[in-house]
Order: sequence, then C-alpha cells, then structure tokens
Amino acid sequence: MIHKEKLLLIVQREFWVRFKSKIFIVTTVLAPIIMIALVILPALIHTLSGDTTRQFPIYDETGVVGEKMVQGDSSSYRLSESDPTRLRTQLQNGEIHGFIVIPHELLDGLGSSAFYHDGSAGMSVSSRIRSDIRQHVQQIRLERLEISEEMKAVMNEEISVDNFIISDDGAEAADSGYSALVGFIMGFIIYGAMFGYGAIIMRSVMEEKTTRVVEIIASSVRPFELLMGKVIGVAMLGLTQFIIWAVAGALLLFAAGPVLTILAGGGAEPAAAGAETAVTMPVIGPVVWVGFVLFFLLGFLIYSSLFAAVGSAIEQESDSQQLQMPIIMLIIVPLLFLMTVSDNPASTLSVSLSMIPFFAPILMPVRMSVISVPFWQLGGTILLMVLTFVVLMWLSSRIYRIGILMYGKKASFAELYRWVRQD
Amino acid sequence: MNDSIVSFENVTKIFGDQRAVDEVSFEVKKGRIFGLLGPNGAGKTTSIRMLTHILVPDSGSIQLFGQPVGSETQKLLGYLPEERGLYKKMKVGEQLIYLSRLHGLSKPAAIESIRYWLARFEAESWIHKEVGELSKGMQQKIQFVATLAHNPPCLIFDEPFSGLDPINSETLKEIILELRDKGKTIFFATHRMEQVEQLCDDIALFNNGKLVLSGDLSQIRSSYGKNTVTLRFTGDNSFLDNLKHVRINNRSVHYAEIRLLEGSDDQAILREAQKHCRIQAFELTEPGLQEIFIDAVSK
Repeated sequence: MIHKEKLLLIVQREFWVRFKSKIFIVTTVLAPIIMIALVILPALIHTLSGDTTRQFPIYDETGVVGEKMVQGDSSSYRLSESDPTRLRTQLQNGEIHGFIVIPHELLDGLGSSAFYHDGSAGMSVSSRIRSDIRQHVQQIRLERLEISEEMKAVMNEEISVDNFIISDDGAEAADSGYSALVGFIMGFIIYGAMFGYGAIIMRSVMEEKTTRVVEIIASSVRPFELLMGKVIGVAMLGLTQFIIWAVAGALLLFAAGPVLTILAGGGAEPAAAGAETAVTMPVIGPVVWVGFVLFFLLGFLIYSSLFAAVGSAIEQESDSQQLQMPIIMLIIVPLLFLMTVSDNPASTLSVSLSMIPFFAPILMPVRMSVISVPFWQLGGTILLMVLTFVVLMWLSSRIYRIGILMYGKKASFAELYRWVRQD
Repeated sequence: MNDSIVSFENVTKIFGDQRAVDEVSFEVKKGRIFGLLGPNGAGKTTSIRMLTHILVPDSGSIQLFGQPVGSETQKLLGYLPEERGLYKKMKVGEQLIYLSRLHGLSKPAAIESIRYWLARFEAESWIHKEVGELSKGMQQKIQFVATLAHNPPCLIFDEPFSGLDPINSETLKEIILELRDKGKTIFFATHRMEQVEQLCDDIALFNNGKLVLSGDLSQIRSSYGKNTVTLRFTGDNSFLDNLKHVRINNRSVHYAEIRLLEGSDDQAILREAQKHCRIQAFELTEPGLQEIFIDAVSK
C-alpha cells in the first residue's frame, strides 16, 4: 500500500524545489526563444543571403526572351552585349557569378538554354532561372501561334486542390497543409522533453544517492513511494512548463497578429494582412491537444522510470553512458520514422510503429495531427503504454531500492538483473 | 511481551555469498543505551538498516515495540546514518520540516520541535540558509536535529561522534544521556569502542556478521574480574616490551593497560615498573571493551 500523505509530501517537494530553481526559470524562458530562433533564423539567413544581389548577364540570340526576363525581374537579370567567350573570361576573373545563354533555335522548340556559374548558385537559383526561361519561351511561342486568348488562358490555368479532412462524426475541416508540420513540432517537443525531464529524474536520483540523503528518506518512506513521488512531481513540473509556454505562445500570437500587420502591411492594408497571417496559422483541434498532453505524460512516465533505474545504479553522470544507451536508442528510433509516418499515417507500418509503447509518445501525436486516428488504436496504445509503465516501474523500483544503497562501483547490466531478482 | 523495545530473532541477511548478518538474536530494553560494536564490516549497519526497514531480513524476525518491523514502525525511529547527507539545495528549515513530516509529524508540531532542537544545538540562525552553504560541522548539527525532531521513542546513531569536534561531542553526549533519562531507547553503532564505554548500558559485539557477545556491559566486565592493570608513569616505557604473559592495550607514552594472562602477577609488574620509571598511578581493574572484544573474538 502506498502511503498517500507521504507521497503527496514527496510530490510537493520534488515539484517546488525545481519550480523555484534558477534552471527551471532559465529553461522556461530560453527554450521557446531557441525554438523560435531555430525556425526564424534559417528563413532570415535565407532572405539575407538570398541572390537578390546576384545579377546574371544573359547572352540572348533570340532577341526577345532575354528582354522579357529583364522586364520581369531586372534585379536578377540584365542583357549582355558580350559573347559567351568573354562572359566566360569574366566569370573566371570573378567579375560575375554566372551567365545565361539562350540560343535562337530555342523558340523553334530545339536546343537548350544554359546557365553557367562559378558553383555558388544553389538549387533554388537554377530552378528559378529554368522556370523563368520556360515561362517566357512558352508565352512567346504561344503568341507566335496566334491562338485565342481563351486558349492561352487554358494553357496557363492553374488548378488548385483544396484539402479537407472529414472526421468520423462528419465534421469537415480544411487541411491547411500545416498539420504535418504541427505533428513534427509536437514530435520534436516530446522528444526533447523525454530527454530533458528524463535527465532531471536521473540526476535527482543520483544526487540523493551520492549525498546519502536517501538513507534518511528510506528510513521513513518506501523507496517505491520516493520514486513515484519524484516521477509525479517532475511530470507536474513538465506540465507546468508546457502550460506556461502554451499561454505565453497564445498571448504572443495574439499580440503578433497586429504587430505583423503593421510590419508587413506598412499600415496601408492592415486588415488584409492580418487576415493573411491568420489564415496561415494551422488550426489544431482539441483532440490533438489532448493527445499531445496524454502521450507526453505516458511517455514521460515510461522513460522516467527507466532513467530513475539508471540514476540509482550510478554515482556520477559520466558513468551513465553505458546504461543510458538502450534508453536513448528507444527515444531516437521513432525520429527516424517521423517522415514515413507523417507521409503515410494510415499504413500498416505507421499504425504498428505508433502503437509500440516506446515509440508512441513521438509517433502517435504526429499521426493524430495529420489524420484522425481510429479510437481502437488510441485506446489500445494507451492501454499498452499504461501496462508498460506498470511493468517498468516495478522493475525499476526493484533496481532502485538496491541501487540507492550500493556505493563504490558502477553497476553492469548483469548486476541490475541480479538486483531485480533479489528479494 | 516483556519490556523489550527491540528484539532480533535469528536474523540473517545475505548479500551474494556473504553472510552480512548471520543468525543474530538480541533484545534491547526500554530506557537503555545499547551499543552495537564491532570492526568495520561486522554487520552493524546492515542490522540497523533492517531495523529501520530499509532492508528486509532473509530470515528471522525483528520486532519494535512488539510489532514486526515495517512501514508503520518507521516513525518510531530516529536514524542518524553513518554516511551523513542532506539536500544541499534546500533551506535548513524547509528541509527539517520535510523530513519530520515524512516521519508523520504535522507541520505546526514539526516547526515547534525544530525550533527547540535548533536552539539546543545553537543553530537557530541558520534556519533560512541552504544546507550547502554550511560547514561540515554545522551540517552535522542539522543532521542531529533531523534525527531528533519527530521525537521518536527509539533513536539510532551510527558512528555519531565521527567528524565532531570535542565541544560538540560533549553536547551530543549530554543530549544522549538526557534522552535516555527521558525514557528513550538509544542504539549506538561504532567501531571506536573506547568512545561508547562511558555511555552504553548494554552491548552487542559483532564480528563477521555474527554476534559474539551481548548483554549488560558492567556484568560482562565484572565477569572478567579484575584482570587488568592500568599504569600511568613518567620515564622510559621500553620495559613494557619485556613483560611476559601479558597483553598490552591502549598503550601510549605515559600510559598502558596491561591485561594479565595466565602466569603473570600484578605485583611483579609493579616491582618491574618501579625499576624503570616513576609511577603516578597503578590500579587493578576490569578489562576495557577493546580487551573484551579481542577476548571474545579469539574464543
């Protein structure tokens, strides 16, 4: 029997000591900033280092295509008087970064244009050049054929496909295409949380052991109660941190709308710009939120019981490597399948992977954010996870109760197995 | 039941192939100071851990106040482990309240008791300090308060004097005797036998997991008879090496305890000593604990 009052005392201590710690405050503030930086920085770098400053000379034999391209985007293209040989020399001398050659037979549907560069132009540059040339050549040739405007419109027509998700109860929701992204982000957050909070548990068990305070605690409560209290306390800490982030995020979005509007719209069309940002924000249904929290909690419980067992078997963090290895593998494996699962969330592979209790915390929220996962799969997975947790907690507490009193040597897997069997 | 507070009955604990505690039985009576003595690794700490229900015996039974040892009996004990330890990042006051409440005290009762004991150890001013900021000696005092604060009827001190300066050792001795006079039962475990000689009423001597001797200390000592000479002197002490049929314990430059073995005579030792040095004290006494231990183990 678990002594409820003692358990509650332990939970409270484990929670408050960490909640008031500097590390908690720092990570709570820094983590979102780093996250946002990780999202924004690449985009920012991309824009800053973009090829807007790169202007490529065009050697145009057709006399029309190049002109149209310069008209379309004069910052990227300019017409060149020099022939390809001279342009080549200029390129070798580093005066230009690249040049484009458009042969006259291109308008007859023959030959091919060429883009020469010094190796600094990436995929995006070449593909933009390709599409620009194709677009103008296509247009000019269509005009030469003297076909009707209607025909041209047909040729240039873009067909859009609107994405809708219909759930079991018949509700219809627009799939903005961001749902996979949401799933990815959730998967990564849970991945980070498993490691972060797992390490907290491991370190805390290890510290109680090395400071020997555990012997006093063990003389008043059962090791299992201490372990449970610790796991619950840290789980609550994790939830608190998520709630803080969620509230701060919501406030930020709320505030960001008008701010973005002012920045993007320049004050001219605030309403339109505001609407635009709102549209690109994916709508995350309550089921996904609940799933995210639930799978985070269950995953945390499963992994923290494992990390606690490791913590009880070591005396310094550098000794943890070997014992931590299998746990780390279990957390990393689902990341490898993140793409596969979000691309094909209903495949047999995805379903079975996401139902494995060790992988579910990361893969199930990904599936849930892309499709509506059948109830039996959710229920079954949750049941499996609860069972896994109970078994692991039992094993871990058997390792823990012996480990916390063992000093002097690093335990091996064989030893842990002996501890589990020991009475 | 009789008036025994603690009873061990054929208690055995095995780690791997080592019998840490081997078929041990003894009883501790109310209001006595009980010394658990023996060299390192003799089984003292393992016995204590079984009494505190940190470990469970492989066989045999342990009772505390007539109840089998378990979660319920834990609150009746105050335990000072040999390896001291507290949460370094927690404040003294918070930490003591936490530990007392884990032992079943209500918060107000815990605060009151902690204030009293901190005052006894002249440590009230540290209540808002983090334990990690305190010196080793100060942390020791906090640890004593943690052991005593929930006012348990039975106290266990594992090597209580290790690392204590003489002044604090005296304070602790006073407190222990005072607790005994209040009717509390006190367990002592130590390998430094001379330290507990003045304190213990009863003893249990451990060696290699086995109980080699137990009972009332004064009875044990008198059963050995006055077979030891204590000698205090000035001058050259090399004559001690030439004495026959004796065993010398606690020898220092101007002091020796000489155990008389068969064939030796105390008066002959006195005469011999007179030839070599000036005698300040000569007394025929009962043997010290160290001597009793050596004797018991060698049997």
